[in-house]
Amino acid sequence: MELTVLCISFTILLLIGVPVAFAIGISSVCTIVAAGLPIAIVFQKMVGGMQIFSFLAIPFFIFAGELMLYGGIADRIVKFANSLVGHVRGGLGMSNVLGCTLFGGVAGSPLADVSAMGSVMIPLMKKEGYDADYAVNVTTHAALVGALMPTSHNIILFTLATAGIAAVSVFDMVLACVIPAVLLTVANVIAAYGVAVKRGYPTHGKFPGWGVVLGTFLAALPGLLVIVIILAGILSGVFTATESAATAVFWALIVTAIVYRTLSWENFLKACAKACKTTGVILLLIGLSAAFGYFMALYSVPEKTGELMKSVTSNPWMIFLMINILLFVLGTFLDMAPTILICTPIFLPIAQQYGMDPAQFGVMMLLNCALGLNTPPVGTTQFVGCAIGEISVGQVMRSILPFYGALTATMMLVTYVPAFSLWLPQTLKAALH
Amino acid sequence: MYTRLCAFLSKASLMLAVVGLIAIILCVQYQVFGRYVLNDTPTWAEALALMLVIYVTSLGLAVGVRDAGHIGLESIIVLLPESIRLKLEILIHLLVGGFGGLMAWNGYLWTTLKWSDTKPMLGVPSGMDYVPLVIAGTLIVLFSIEHIIALFQGKEVEPAWN
Amino acid sequence: EEFKSADVHNSDDFPTVTAVKFMGEQLSKATGGKHTIKVFNKGALGSEKETIDQVKIGGLAMTRVNISAVTSMCPKTNIPVLPFLFRSVEHLHKVLDGPIGEEIAKDCESQGLMILAYYDSGARSIYSKKPIKTVADTKGLKIRVQQSDLWVAVTGAMGANPTPMPIGEVITALKTGLVDAAENNFPSYGSSFRHFEAAKYYNKTEHSMAPEVLLFSKAIFDKLPPAEQKAVRDAAKASIPFNRKEWAAAEKKEEDMVKAAGSIIAEVDKKSFQDVMGPVYEKFASSPDAKRLVKAIQDTK
Ligand code: NA
Ligand code: NA
Repeated sequence: MELTVLCISFTILLLIGVPVAFAIGISSVCTIVAAGLPIAIVFQKMVGGMQIFSFLAIPFFIFAGELMLYGGIADRIVKFANSLVGHVRGGLGMSNVLGCTLFGGVAGSPLADVSAMGSVMIPLMKKEGYDADYAVNVTTHAALVGALMPTSHNIILFTLATAGIAAVSVFDMVLACVIPAVLLTVANVIAAYGVAVKRGYPTHGKFPGWGVVLGTFLAALPGLLVIVIILAGILSGVFTATESAATAVFWALIVTAIVYRTLSWENFLKACAKACKTTGVILLLIGLSAAFGYFMALYSVPEKTGELMKSVTSNPWMIFLMINILLFVLGTFLDMAPTILICTPIFLPIAQQYGMDPAQFGVMMLLNCALGLNTPPVGTTQFVGCAIGEISVGQVMRSILPFYGALTATMMLVTYVPAFSLWLPQTLKAALH
Repeated sequence: MYTRLCAFLSKASLMLAVVGLIAIILCVQYQVFGRYVLNDTPTWAEALALMLVIYVTSLGLAVGVRDAGHIGLESIIVLLPESIRLKLEILIHLLVGGFGGLMAWNGYLWTTLKWSDTKPMLGVPSGMDYVPLVIAGTLIVLFSIEHIIALFQGKEVEPAWN
Repeated sequence: EEFKSADVHNSDDFPTVTAVKFMGEQLSKATGGKHTIKVFNKGALGSEKETIDQVKIGGLAMTRVNISAVTSMCPKTNIPVLPFLFRSVEHLHKVLDGPIGEEIAKDCESQGLMILAYYDSGARSIYSKKPIKTVADTKGLKIRVQQSDLWVAVTGAMGANPTPMPIGEVITALKTGLVDAAENNFPSYGSSFRHFEAAKYYNKTEHSMAPEVLLFSKAIFDKLPPAEQKAVRDAAKASIPFNRKEWAAAEKKEEDMVKAAGSIIAEVDKKSFQDVMGPVYEKFASSPDAKRLVKAIQDTK
């Protein structure tokens, strides 16, 4: 009865356009009233959900990402990527993939990545004669790698969503994402190259020589060091993940304000304000999802879903495929954060039961949610990319299949070959021991 | 007049939130400094950061309501005819505002219930954790009303800051 | 009615989880199936603090927490947490089963919380990467503690550098050397959080025996007719010996497991630790009531 109230009220609220966080909150209130429990519990869970130490890394990563966005780091990364791969066929496409991947590592957010790299690369590619749909697709898909980078707040989000189900440390997750991120980049390069050849985009200029590459690399290096700081900080044990994130903010500030001198006071304030707003939006979602999680536990939703799936098949491969498909369907109309928060408690126990490691599940989920960012009807990075490229979502679909293919292939490799996600954390842990 | 008040509140909230966010970062950095340099980990730093994060979040999420920054599904209502869409939008703001009211009221209940209890490490009342709900809830109600008024007047609410 | 009971332990076989389930069976028998208990472990309903507040407002019937989670509400519950107060497990049981245990439990009722049972949680000791023999060995050591004034004071009095940190981060922090040591009981060192993988030396400081408590909502309890109230109390009482037996077995099993894994479990010079605890008693047991209770506990033979 209470579960019916929860599902129906949530679906209706979502469909009529109530923001996801409020839809979760209001349907939680409806459910708790139906259950005859005090409404106050919803708000207690909300505060409790926002107040977990590791969640502090989220505002920090968001803040660092905003500083990077406003602070001229993207330009230097574009120059470096161009000098390295700008001369091959579809060269700007290749440099776009490389640049987005690098900036994604710095900012850790697909959205920041599309905004920063897209606003430089998409107009440039269009000017050089590339089709707008190609330019947008290359950017929006390369940007998804940001979700797997050590600076990604979605990684933190996942580790927190696993609380009470499995012990996945930020350390494990950050490392588990490294090889899949490389895989996805390679897949993106292949897709970008494939489309370039098929459409007959010309080659462009000549290789400028290693001297130029080195020069542009050194110019981009201070910005890129953020990734190194975070990885080294966590791995060496000097910082916790949260402390690393706070250090990343300081570094971002030093690089943009002092080294590059590209961050004006006005932009600094803008970045601060934007970071606070985004923090509010995301942590509200996290807090209220905790109330949602409370009901799911109270009414044994994961167990019931598990039994339902078991009644269809007991083959682990099929179960994993089903989880991927369900995640994909949800991802088409939900954003990354709510999908992670709502689905982890439901699907992780099932996946674990069929022998999947929680960290591997996390990478699979991040990839799947990332795909959702580029699918209509609601795909936030796709929207931003299309807006910058001045084309419609319909137009962008023309060359999207090879890129979907690249993502799906990476997702399947991660789903069915545990080593891609687990080898690195296990090896490094053994070395530390 | 009302819009000007809301714009002021929104900008002030955001400025306070920025101060809070910077304070959180300083807390965490000071914790590292204390652990390695002073060999005396400041035990209040983490607790303070965790309390401040609720304040920053509450202020940020309230401004998010005013600036229409919360993530939602808008694909279906844009397909509807203008008159139904307007009604639906008013309904959405009513629901969000109503939730804000509940947030403020329940925040008040928890604040009073937990006021006599002290927070470990900080020595302040545990009820301090729930004060942000009262602030955010009240702001959400105010901003939702502003949105509804704007819809009737056929205007849009302009973000107060960037 | 189905009373819901919260617990934060992940394992379904944890002695506190099984004890409350056992209590549920007893209660169901006594009331002819009218009342049952369903346990939600793994922190499904929230953290210890959250579930306590839910019990307070009557949104949840029961929760099983460590007694240190209620010390900020009911001052007398601070007493059993105090360092080096109990001489042995037998001493602890004798005190909690007697009038002192009752007096401490009564202190929570004004907060809407009824302590129906004290469960075992064993003794807490310091585990570290290097052996600790006397209090001098803890000087400047970065010891992870819970976010609690008492644990900070206890480790601080030893001369260590108390470092509060969430439990989930401890294993990585120990491995990477961010902290040098932590303090907890055998199951946490063993299979619950696997800290033994990162800290080889389990130094039996046994500095605290803070028991677990089973809290029942006074708001819900007061609505029951007297006969059913008695049935609830009796069922809770019956679960205590059950829990103690299970705990002893679980603790032994964990100890054997970590030993087999290469951990070194060693005695320490307890006296040296005890001698520096003055400031802790000063800070947490200075009221006349507290002094009287401490004395009464020390005098319990
Ligand atoms: Na980020
Ligand atoms: Na989508």
